[in-house]
Amino acid sequence: MKRVLIVDDAAFMRASIKLMLERNGFEVVGEAENGLKGIECYKELKPDVVTMDITMPELGGIEALKIIREYDPGAKIIMVSAMGQEPMVMDAVVSGAKSFIVKPFKEELVVQTLNKVLGL
Amino acid sequence: MAEKEIQEFWEEEDTQKDKYLTFSLGNEFYGIEIKYVTEIVGMQPITEVPELPEYIRGIINLRGKIIPVMDVRLRFKKPAREYNDRTCIIVVDIRDISIGLIIDSVSEVLSIPEGDIVSPPEFSKGYNNKYIKNIGKVGNDVKLILDCDKLLNDEETENLSNL
Amino acid sequence: MIAISDKSIHEPMLDIFIFETLKQIEQLEQLVICNEKSSCYTQNSINEIFRIMHTIKGSAAMMLFDNISALSHTIEDLFFFLREEKPKDIDCSGLSDLVLEGIDFIKIEIDKIKNGHESDGNAEELTKRIRNFLSVLKNCENPLAISESEKQTQDMRTQYYISQDKKAAVSGKNGYKAILHFDEGCEMENIRAYSVIHNLRGIVKELQYIPENIMANDECVEVIRRDGFVIFMKTDLSYEEIEEFLQQTVFLKELLLTRLDNAEAQEKFLIDKRIVLEKQETLAPKLLKEEVVVSSGQQQSLISVNVNKLDKLMDLVGEMVIAEAMVVQNPDLGGLELHNFQKAARQLGKITSELQDMVMSIRMLPISATFHKMHRIVRDMCKKLNKEVQLELIGEETEVDKNIIEHISDPLMHLIRNSIDHGIEASEERLGKGKPQSGTITLTAQNAGSDVLITIKDDGKGLNRERILERAKEHGLLSKPESEMHDKEVYSMIFLPGFSTKDNISEFSGRGVGMDVVVKNIEMVGGSVSVESTPGSSTTVTLKIPLTLAIIDGMNIKVGKAMYTIPTISIKESFRANERELIKDPNGNEMIMVRGQCYPILRLHERFKVETDIVNIHEGIIVMVENEEDSICIFADELVGEQQVVVKTLPAYIRNKGKIRGLAGCTLLGNGSISLILEVAGLADKR
Repeated sequence: MKRVLIVDDAAFMRASIKLMLERNGFEVVGEAENGLKGIECYKELKPDVVTMDITMPELGGIEALKIIREYDPGAKIIMVSAMGQEPMVMDAVVSGAKSFIVKPFKEELVVQTLNKVLGL
Repeated sequence: MAEKEIQEFWEEEDTQKDKYLTFSLGNEFYGIEIKYVTEIVGMQPITEVPELPEYIRGIINLRGKIIPVMDVRLRFKKPAREYNDRTCIIVVDIRDISIGLIIDSVSEVLSIPEGDIVSPPEFSKGYNNKYIKNIGKVGNDVKLILDCDKLLNDEETENLSNL
Repeated sequence: MIAISDKSIHEPMLDIFIFETLKQIEQLEQLVICNEKSSCYTQNSINEIFRIMHTIKGSAAMMLFDNISALSHTIEDLFFFLREEKPKDIDCSGLSDLVLEGIDFIKIEIDKIKNGHESDGNAEELTKRIRNFLSVLKNCENPLAISESEKQTQDMRTQYYISQDKKAAVSGKNGYKAILHFDEGCEMENIRAYSVIHNLRGIVKELQYIPENIMANDECVEVIRRDGFVIFMKTDLSYEEIEEFLQQTVFLKELLLTRLDNAEAQEKFLIDKRIVLEKQETLAPKLLKEEVVVSSGQQQSLISVNVNKLDKLMDLVGEMVIAEAMVVQNPDLGGLELHNFQKAARQLGKITSELQDMVMSIRMLPISATFHKMHRIVRDMCKKLNKEVQLELIGEETEVDKNIIEHISDPLMHLIRNSIDHGIEASEERLGKGKPQSGTITLTAQNAGSDVLITIKDDGKGLNRERILERAKEHGLLSKPESEMHDKEVYSMIFLPGFSTKDNISEFSGRGVGMDVVVKNIEMVGGSVSVESTPGSSTTVTLKIPLTLAIIDGMNIKVGKAMYTIPTISIKESFRANERELIKDPNGNEMIMVRGQCYPILRLHERFKVETDIVNIHEGIIVMVENEEDSICIFADELVGEQQVVVKTLPAYIRNKGKIRGLAGCTLLGNGSISLILEVAGLADKR
């Protein structure tokens, strides 16, 4: 089973994504509520893929993405953004995010993205 | 009809529609929609609670749950009768309120299809008229179907009687 | 834009959504009120407010609550502007009003949702006003100044990337044209398209694509959705290689890849037309690695627990206490010598006790959240009535059972509204009296034995004995001559139903339906309300609420066949008396002297109308009980024994008929019978 780390400051979003993923055969190995904790968790858990919110306190998603990619150039990170964040998503793409999903999203889209990114 | 037989009867039936539990008070037969009835128990020691209307006899301990009991005879302003070993308590649950109804004796569970249910006539048969929702015809007999809501919630008459 | 329409996701997420959104709304409210007071919005607050609205927008959209989402979006936009542009001279008061209105809307909708109703509220009008507010702000700003984000977009468009390979004419032997269609609903197709380009950049020599201006958002996205994203490329890679590469694109619905022959290739790649690949400047704030401090460590670990589970846990602990009593006090054991058994029983008792305490403490929450809610009430009332009032909070860390917190909120709100409406005078009046211009309401919470005392004190004009008596007479509420009534008795008449001395019924209070409802709410959790006042300077309302209703030490007593339990904490002493010691007053009330003090006697068998043979004083037992105010001597048949009892409330049906004075609840004894639990205040009440 593929192991996923969910990084998002909203407990609701973490719970929603977790629910969607677990129902589709993924294993959620960790959750983090900001970029800093996300980086820690990544180093500790070494997940197969990460879903990363963009807007978070302490450290945002884009910065965390960059730090994780430096630490592990092979890291597979999927950004979770809201409409209107196009410049930031672009930045993320350039910085190495494998793909992105836009809130609010349907379960199928999330699963499809993860599968594609993981080459499943 | 013994409690046990009624329980078994319930276990056989898988639908509650149009079924009524019938019981007697004196010479009259009443019915309650089965959906309200949670269980029937024999008479138990009642702990009296002060400052309540007379027809609320007090509370009982039903496997750890504390339930108030109402003497339906007194509620219907009939003369009280001593409890004997046929006296039962029908535990009903209406809109999350549990209450035990003390009645003379339980009869049986009957199916009374909608067609056999009619509105109560306007004759003033005394007090208990207002608690009767409608009348069920069973063969040559009639069963007075209780309006459980009114039974539990009707306040005005008490206030009048308290003055 | 599609959200979670799948019901099987919707429902389990609903609780979390409600919980989290409410928490955020409370946070938001505090932020607004604090900032409004200091009459400016700090940068941090603006950031936080932005973030909160952003989060709520997202979650609400996921749950299909578009009205909440749209409103949040508008406020988010407003605070985004405030964050980026930092305009001067913002109308703070107006801004706060708007946000608070938004908060109220969301609160109401969440309430509907909580109760299983549809969230059908319409915030369009408010949204319009917020947008207007924003436009006004934008117009005030220098219209020539280009905003940061716009500047960056412009920068982006003018930067080019030129392929390292400077061979102008034909570089890369193969030319391909690819048309990509993305899946419906994947959103931001322009960025996805850009993503493809970005990835291709590494492996092809030259690229051109349509639409060119990827950052032009809406039109661009429409074009891509309609016609697909068209890429022309020149590369040394084979058809299969390019196809495989492009097939890895996420959300790719359809790929049309065709080879271009040389002529077409030439046409597409004119020498003087350079490849325009927009180089992306880092838009995100620079990362300062040195400043990033990874804060792990001593953070308090918290989890959120479903309240139902806690309730069940409490019930189980209660049942365990009963079961323990049934074992330890089992009639089968009577008369046996059981040293080891007793030892073990004591140990069991100890552990059960600790378990109870622990479970109880889990349900305890500090009352601060409830207290803080009052800031909003004070603010709103002050604004509406044009008064100045400060709210002081003392003892907010005091902990109270979760159940009780829910019952305190409304009464507190009403009492505070009352204080501001009736008690605190207008500023000029206060100054005229030599009082500080701003009134003060002090909310205090403190532990007092097994109760929690909450007081609401205002330094307003106090209660007027004469007017209260007048009003009482009007409503026919006087039961004894005025002269015989202590001030305290007079003051407590304000709690009677239908009572109000205010001449104009304001929207907030004065209808006389408030105070008695406050009392009812407090009594419902087993508490009591009292009021004191110093005319001209202050009024203090005190709520006394038992810390926990659940398990207490009690003394069982018997009257006839009935069993009662008196909380041990209320018992001062018990003794036998005889008729000679009794005193009767002119009204026939019985009293007894104990060490120079006179105490009224309460015959339980008379009060509760219980049959018993024990009617002579010397045959029964007297138990002296007291609380802060009263002491009485209860006459009963005999003492049965002390034990810990689990307090169960009387059934709802009975409670609805009105509070029975003197009864705090009931409990199940070891032998399965029911004992009624007595409480002193009600017994002492002679009404």
